[in-house]
Amino acid sequence: MPLKSYNKKIDHDLGVPLQDDYFYDDPEEIIENKSMPELESTARLVTERSRRGEKRVINGDVLIVGAGISGMQAALDVADKGYKVVIIDKTSTIGGAMVKLDKTFPTNDCSICTAAPKMVELSRHPNIKLITYAGINSLDGKPGNFKANIWRKSKYVDPDKCTGCDDCVEVCPVEVANPFDEKLSIRKAIYIEFPQAVPIVYTIDYENCNGCGACDRVCEPEAISFLEKSEEIEVNVGSVIVATGFEVFEPLEMRKEYGYGKYENVITAMQFERILSSFGPTDGKVRRPSDGNKPKTIGWIQCVGSRSEQLGFPYCSRVCCMYATKEASIAKEANPDIDITIYYMDIRAYGKDFQQYYDHAKDLGVKYIRGRPASVYENTDKSLTIRYKDTLTGKVEESTVDLLVLSTAIMPNQGNKKLGEVLGIEVDENGFFKQDSLLTDPIQSTREGIFLAGCIQGPKDIPDSVSMASGAAAKAVAPIKDRERLIGKEFPPERDVSNEKPRIGVFVCHCGKNIASYLDVEKVTEEAKKLPNVEYADHMMFVCSEDSCNKIKETAQEKGLNRIIVAACSPRTHGGLFQDTLMEAGLNKYLFEMANIRNHCSWVHSDDWDAATKKAVDLVRSSVAKARYLESLSEEEFSIYPKSLIIGGGVSGMKAALALADMGIKSIILENEPKLGGRLRYLHSMFPSDTKSEDIINPLIKNVTKNKLITVMTDSELEKLEGYIGNYKGEVKQKGNKREIEFGTIIVATGFKEIDLDDKYQYGKNRNIMSQTELETKLKNNDLKEPKNIVIINCAGAMDEERPYCCRVGCGVSIKNAKLIAQKYPKSKIYLLYRDMRVFGKEEEEYYADVLKNYHVTTIRHPGDRKPEVILDKKDPKNGPITIKVYDDILNEEMTLPADLLVLTVNTEGGAKTEKLKNMLKVPVDAAGFFIETHAKIKPLDFSTSGVYMCGAAHYPKNLVDSIAQAEGAASRAAIPIAQEKMKGEGIISEVIEDKCRGCGTCELACAYSAIDLVPHSRDPGRLVAKVNRALCKGCGSCAAACLNSAIEQKGYDSNQINVMIAALLEKEVTA
Amino acid sequence: MNKISDEIVNVNSLKFKKGELVKEIEELCGENLFGCYQCGTCSAGCPFIEDMDLSPDEVIRYVILDKKEVLNSKTIWLCAACYTCAERCPRDINITKIMEALRQIILRKNIDRTNLTNISKDEKESIPQLAFVCLFRKNVG
Repeated sequence: MPLKSYNKKIDHDLGVPLQDDYFYDDPEEIIENKSMPELESTARLVTERSRRGEKRVINGDVLIVGAGISGMQAALDVADKGYKVVIIDKTSTIGGAMVKLDKTFPTNDCSICTAAPKMVELSRHPNIKLITYAGINSLDGKPGNFKANIWRKSKYVDPDKCTGCDDCVEVCPVEVANPFDEKLSIRKAIYIEFPQAVPIVYTIDYENCNGCGACDRVCEPEAISFLEKSEEIEVNVGSVIVATGFEVFEPLEMRKEYGYGKYENVITAMQFERILSSFGPTDGKVRRPSDGNKPKTIGWIQCVGSRSEQLGFPYCSRVCCMYATKEASIAKEANPDIDITIYYMDIRAYGKDFQQYYDHAKDLGVKYIRGRPASVYENTDKSLTIRYKDTLTGKVEESTVDLLVLSTAIMPNQGNKKLGEVLGIEVDENGFFKQDSLLTDPIQSTREGIFLAGCIQGPKDIPDSVSMASGAAAKAVAPIKDRERLIGKEFPPERDVSNEKPRIGVFVCHCGKNIASYLDVEKVTEEAKKLPNVEYADHMMFVCSEDSCNKIKETAQEKGLNRIIVAACSPRTHGGLFQDTLMEAGLNKYLFEMANIRNHCSWVHSDDWDAATKKAVDLVRSSVAKARYLESLSEEEFSIYPKSLIIGGGVSGMKAALALADMGIKSIILENEPKLGGRLRYLHSMFPSDTKSEDIINPLIKNVTKNKLITVMTDSELEKLEGYIGNYKGEVKQKGNKREIEFGTIIVATGFKEIDLDDKYQYGKNRNIMSQTELETKLKNNDLKEPKNIVIINCAGAMDEERPYCCRVGCGVSIKNAKLIAQKYPKSKIYLLYRDMRVFGKEEEEYYADVLKNYHVTTIRHPGDRKPEVILDKKDPKNGPITIKVYDDILNEEMTLPADLLVLTVNTEGGAKTEKLKNMLKVPVDAAGFFIETHAKIKPLDFSTSGVYMCGAAHYPKNLVDSIAQAEGAASRAAIPIAQEKMKGEGIISEVIEDKCRGCGTCELACAYSAIDLVPHSRDPGRLVAKVNRALCKGCGSCAAACLNSAIEQKGYDSNQINVMIAALLEKEVTA
Repeated sequence: MNKISDEIVNVNSLKFKKGELVKEIEELCGENLFGCYQCGTCSAGCPFIEDMDLSPDEVIRYVILDKKEVLNSKTIWLCAACYTCAERCPRDINITKIMEALRQIILRKNIDRTNLTNISKDEKESIPQLAFVCLFRKNVG
């Protein structure tokens, strides 16, 4: 086994041809290695198969092309329902573009930290087959019966043998620009994309490898196999989801005036993400490429390649305003001395909390200048001079920055057309994939059985991609819904160890050289052997490798071990894997403990061998102390009532019900009003395709009513609710009658409403002043008198002190209605007063430009702090003419506009029933009355309470396309528990010691999952005590920490277990 | 604040075939001015911006708002027709053509912005030949 000098020997000799026995100090080492059991090698299998002319055949249910955040979400959603997924990715890892990002807006959550758990979950899922470094060659057949040919390129590294130790990279002499770091750093010809890559298997870059064989010579597990061939794999599935993502525009050919590719310090925003990233080329420090110095000034130029009718793409790239704001805020927060300016045309801070995030950036000192720079010149010190017109002051100016970031557009993959041909689906004029119908079926591609998710349909941010991916999962399940489902893994029956005395096994990991080079694993093992109750201790090269796990299983059975400790890395990434091993050995999975000697010892004390070793010994001793008191824990199993309740019968609610029905799941739609249809019943037509709202809701209502799996209850309201996920009982009031209903999951689709303007803008005082909704109803009923001068005021009651948020849909609605009026009354003059024009969705920017050009709508931009003033006629305020005074930002002068019709684009808030629902469902709501999701980025459809989901405008106002994608996504989420039929709660949960509980309710408030209720004491019904719902408790421990009387214990982490660990760390063994 | 000081034509006396200035301009140059997002790219890249009273984007704004005094602006005569603005405009609007259309309205009234006889001898010797060529080119449309 390697000695401590091992690391140094590699270091001094990079790239030089090495002797086979170079790393081994004595022959025994070599013998020991050679005697390692031969693993089943994929390389050998592939080679043998190709010799026999056979190809691998995989039978699955759904094929997913592309394993970015959208592909991963779709895969997990399908697999969690019990169907088999085959997911492929063209790179050698999964994760896509999201893992390249540093943080995500508007919560500043670390991107890799939120994506990595999904990656690990995907790789370990029993129903998911992952094929990386692969592409699709052909697709034949029809929905329910597709045959795909997958071409898996050889990585020339055996995934079963590779341990991810990084030795090969150190010796590889070839250096190439690293595409993962957007060419800001170099990588070797053998590489992993990034440290958290899944699978952690190295890949030889065939194009750049010079075949020197250095990697082969240093590879201890002999994983390098130059002879491995690429293979064709036949995959038989029922449906396909395409989620191949996007590319980022590189302004090399077009938009050369910004100097990208010519000047060193002009970079793209994606490159800046890598600079900010903690595992990027500068370790997260803001540095400029030319000299590695910290820039004193940074500029951002927005819309490079987007919103361009020439030299770019006509669409809005949707995310750039927010990512630039995010990058600028993060750079500014970490380096307040850097001067930061963003040059923009419109800031599109349209989403939930986006406007507040933008305001916050301004508070931090990020400067925003409205003006699109014309050109960039480099100075002798490599700084850059930007020439621009500040359109709000009217001055043409120059400013000099040390680093210039171009917010380049999301653009379609260049391979989309070819992929479209292979899959038989169409691309649109920009190169994104075309949906069947933008307003009614955005997820369906132009070929039946093939569905779209994420940025391949158009630019999207992460939550919209994730929602769409869940929606695609729902739709992909429909053609295969009757196939056999497999939930979870099968394990042998558990052995009862409650009467046994603790027999502990300790397994210490070398982690290649990650641990073994920095501390003495043999000493740790020897010290562990000396501890009481430790029956067995050993050290292994990689405890997580398959053969090591098998060895743990065999040893546990052979030696009758009943507690297992692994001293290795983090339980967050590897705990689940070892717990599976315990279950395979017939042990309860909670009889396991991990000591993190890699992160806590070898990483942080890499320069102190003795101290790191001592700390590792201490950590293992403390884990052993706890392990003596570990108990088998049971997980509550409960059945799921196979029906969903959908609250709200608008488009979102109906779409969710239909998606559920397509998966074979029953649902009940509850609607307050006498008819289905929601807000669309009052609207004329829809932005951006001008489809009449009747044409959208009438077919939907027809399909919903005739579907036998959907029960519609109109004029109905949920009055009472009890139970928890899988077992809800509700009382519904329907026209004075009361009915009991039962259901397993709940989807909230209650929509939004316009706010009360409280007389602002003279609303309600003149009959020619109306809201957009009122205007649409008038247009729909042909009830509008021909107006001469129309003024539309956007952002009425929005983005002010009282309501700091943007309503997301208003700009689009105002443009669509301007067009409607102009079409009907071509002689009318239309003025549109706005603050920032926020039309961001697919086809929206194009629609906006088209309306301006073809209908000559005059737009007037006004500052946020100078709202337009509405003046009524003194003589006849109720019916008379209206005068609007507005300050034009661009010309810097006040304008007076006469109007005989004033339309207000009124801000929105949560639906009327929100308050009542919130209390009944015990779910959170924000200040504007919109429901709060579990995670703004990767769990946009779930509430933190299990079994309750949301979609549509109940989450935040959104257009029809996003609402439908969300509705189908929420259906997918709500179908998971139902498809699983039974669910298991956590084993690590809180337990109330009833006699100590005083019924104060502190824990009830502390619980984020609504798992605690106050109930009468079992023996003394006069007094209330807290009770934990075993199905809902997630074991976070908040209640135990909050309890004033120590009446709550968290299983698996109870006071005694923690006390003995602390005592053991202080080297005082205590017996409790 | 009035940015335009000259008056070479009484704008109120002008009659446009289609009523509004913008419609006349659109007919003359074939460009759709309403597509303008007022981003300022044309102005920032214009080589003669320093001497202009209205910047090119303001010219468009004036036309859209039917502010006919734009016809008295220096800008339309300072435009060198270098096409830098047209080349870079994200909205693909050919601003050079718009300038030409504005000049045409004046020129068709037989009003000349520059009176050759008023140019001093010194100026005639120092102004580049090309500038004169441009000036006369404007005159012949």
